[in-house]
Amino acid sequence: MISMWMRRQLTDYIAKTLGTAATLFGLFWLTWILWTTVSKGLPALKWELFTQMTPPPGADGGLLNAFAGSIVMSGLAVLIGTPLGIAAGTYLSEYARHTKLGATIRFVNDILLSAPSIVIGLFVYELMVRQMGHFSALAGAVALSFIVLPVVVRTTDEMLQLIPSTMREAALALGVPQWKVVRQVLYRASMSGIVTGVLLALARISGETAPLLFTALNNQYWANSLLDPMANVPVVIFQYAMSPYEFWHALAWAGAFVVTMFVLMLGLLSRWLLLNKGKIS
Amino acid sequence: MNDVATFRPVDIGADANSNADEPDAKITARNLNFYYGSSHAVKNVNLAVHNKRVTALIGPSGCGKSTLLRIFNRMYAIYPKQRAEGEVLLDGANVLDGHYSVNRLRTKVGMVFQKPVPFPMSIYDNVAYAIRHYEKLSRADMDARVEESLRNAALWDEVKNKFNQSALGLSGGQQQRLCIARAIALKPEVLLLDEPTSALDPISTAKVEQLISELKTQYTVLIVTHNMQQAARVSDSTGFMFMGELIEFGPTEEMFTHPKNQKTTDYITGRFG
Amino acid sequence: MAQSPTLPLSAASPQDHREARDHLHDRLFRYLVMGCALFVLVALLAAALSMLWGGREAFSTFGAQFLWSADWDAVQRKFGALVPIYGTLVTALIAMIIAVPVSFGIALFLTEIAPAWLRTPVAAAIELLAGIPSIIYGMWGLFVFVPFMSEHVDPWLDEHFGPLAIIGPLFQGAPIGLGMLTAGIVLGIMVIPFISSVTREVFMTVPVHLKESAYAVGNTTWEVVWDVVLPYTRSAVIGGIFLGLGRALGETMAVTFVLGNAHRLSASLLEPGNSIAATIANEFTEADSPIYLSSLIALGFLLFIVTFIVLAIARLMLSQLARREGATT
Repeated sequence: MISMWMRRQLTDYIAKTLGTAATLFGLFWLTWILWTTVSKGLPALKWELFTQMTPPPGADGGLLNAFAGSIVMSGLAVLIGTPLGIAAGTYLSEYARHTKLGATIRFVNDILLSAPSIVIGLFVYELMVRQMGHFSALAGAVALSFIVLPVVVRTTDEMLQLIPSTMREAALALGVPQWKVVRQVLYRASMSGIVTGVLLALARISGETAPLLFTALNNQYWANSLLDPMANVPVVIFQYAMSPYEFWHALAWAGAFVVTMFVLMLGLLSRWLLLNKGKIS
Repeated sequence: MNDVATFRPVDIGADANSNADEPDAKITARNLNFYYGSSHAVKNVNLAVHNKRVTALIGPSGCGKSTLLRIFNRMYAIYPKQRAEGEVLLDGANVLDGHYSVNRLRTKVGMVFQKPVPFPMSIYDNVAYAIRHYEKLSRADMDARVEESLRNAALWDEVKNKFNQSALGLSGGQQQRLCIARAIALKPEVLLLDEPTSALDPISTAKVEQLISELKTQYTVLIVTHNMQQAARVSDSTGFMFMGELIEFGPTEEMFTHPKNQKTTDYITGRFG
Repeated sequence: MAQSPTLPLSAASPQDHREARDHLHDRLFRYLVMGCALFVLVALLAAALSMLWGGREAFSTFGAQFLWSADWDAVQRKFGALVPIYGTLVTALIAMIIAVPVSFGIALFLTEIAPAWLRTPVAAAIELLAGIPSIIYGMWGLFVFVPFMSEHVDPWLDEHFGPLAIIGPLFQGAPIGLGMLTAGIVLGIMVIPFISSVTREVFMTVPVHLKESAYAVGNTTWEVVWDVVLPYTRSAVIGGIFLGLGRALGETMAVTFVLGNAHRLSASLLEPGNSIAATIANEFTEADSPIYLSSLIALGFLLFIVTFIVLAIARLMLSQLARREGATT
């Protein structure tokens, strides 16, 4: 009996060691990747990054038009995807919480949420680029908005469902119509949660390359309008990193560093927001 | 037209136990039945709530008193599996009728809930919330209206210097009085109170009970409480419910000293709870 | 003067107008939000249909052969999906072999082993792995990990496993670093946080009293996990694994940088290959004929179908647990 007890203790010890080892394994890669990004990206940072445009091979330059393009397209994507997502999430929570249609839409939304982003790129290519005959920033923004949409839908649905039913009842008991209750009371009560969802969506699209590869493409110069292809950071990084030129590699690392820092900060911001403003009642 | 009370409890042959023939009834339930899906939660209730008086509904957990209360402002309408049959007459009109606007009903019949639920906005905005939808008042008029409601809810003195602050910063008892102020801001005729003090400490409870006896000068009050002593303290009439039926109804003093029904006696003396 | 709200019902009053207006607004709002919700359904359907439409030329030209032809000739305009499919499956498999045990270990650590104060920071750190954009994984993979593999790992594998009888061919090849093994490893690291966070959340839904009663009769931590936690969460854990698999199958940038973009079917993991997503990403803008483009879109459609099925299975397995949770709370 003693040996069986010891065997069980040994198994337990091995399991605990392996679990700890697995965690260290994961943290090891995280550290390596972040360290690489910082050590290669930080030295490549210079003011010209934000003041000069993407250069042709051989010339010096920056990433100004890429940053601007990413900001424009991400901003547009959030502008398109957020109201649509909030509305859809509102429907799911307030009008279809236990219906079959609601369950179906939630299911499809979850699939859209995890779908490969290159598939979204192809979809928007067929939808817009083929119809319009050329690549455009608008198409890029639409592709990104399809990534924003399911995130906001899910967050809104979940946040609204968290509001206790008594709050709805109390507002409706005053004779105020339902749509006003949703807009004036429920949205207010879940605002920080919904904003967090938007921030998470923004963090996700900031690093997305595949959906832009054949929608917005790239542009060595300023795009004159949303109907032109527009430079953006992820595609520029892709192009420069795969090239044989050293100085393009340096620019790519600088861009990678900025994007990573931006995404990490968004993550911290949304975590802080949820912690501090997450109170409903 | 006075209907003689027709209700008889199913298994106990007691006397007429409702007063649906009272001429001074503000709001009356007639042959009222309520279903949660297939579960029959309120069984054939006939009840008249006296104008400008406090009427209490008591009974053990699950007897249907809250369910009955929530029929009076059609709160069940937002839940698809719940339905009511019968009539509820407010000043003679059946408010359960599909043609009677539910929002109009709710401006006349206000409700305060068990758990205080202040809206996530300032104290001022909480009280002004419904008024803003129904009336276009100038800033001065709205201020006066908000002050009036807060005074009538015995909250004015405590918040008069901070009504732009969030309502979430108030204590539990203050929040509940805010909910009362919010409910009376629209000047309803009937106030439904669903166990309004069960989530409050004794001091806040006393304040709210005091408030109820003041409120009855202006409003008809129907209060559900699981606390018999509270019913004895604040109400003029009391109804005892058990398993969905209204077993007995009468003046509070009589109900607690000379109940007519055996079940009522058992409940009041604590035989079951 | 404040208007009294107690008007008699018979008057066709401003009140009636307001009620009619409120009712109308409520209806409009309901239709608006319902339309937006239906848009989500429409979007998925449209995505599937549009890719089917774009790939129709390839499907009609090559037929079912498209699925198992290893051709990829832009000049002769003959294309087949076998190489990309093979690469997608192999890299995803390697990724899962790495990610599943590691994720399980991390979830175990975070729920049973780590002291309370350590749990949140470590969990947050693992979440960071998920937040890093995939193009960063690709860059790190190409500039740092590939040289590492080509200098240290590939030659070692070639030397020690290459000559072996059955598994030998898996590890033979020139040590260029780019290849399916490298891509599989990078993919595996990417997928770890997805599986581990789902597994951890799922582990935390086990009712405490269930675990406590097992501890109370003297079970070790491992035995509680193996005998109580895992059976309780089994379908959800599988759901989490499928979620990770869906991610691994569809990942583009991390793989494109390090897979080598070679349309060659080789047995060795050390050789470069191609995946569906990498093929599309690398060649889309250079496709010079309609059939070429159509073949790439057809590949996209195949990827979509496969990931849809995988994600649907994941969702079904996860919602089983959610339903049980909702029933007991």
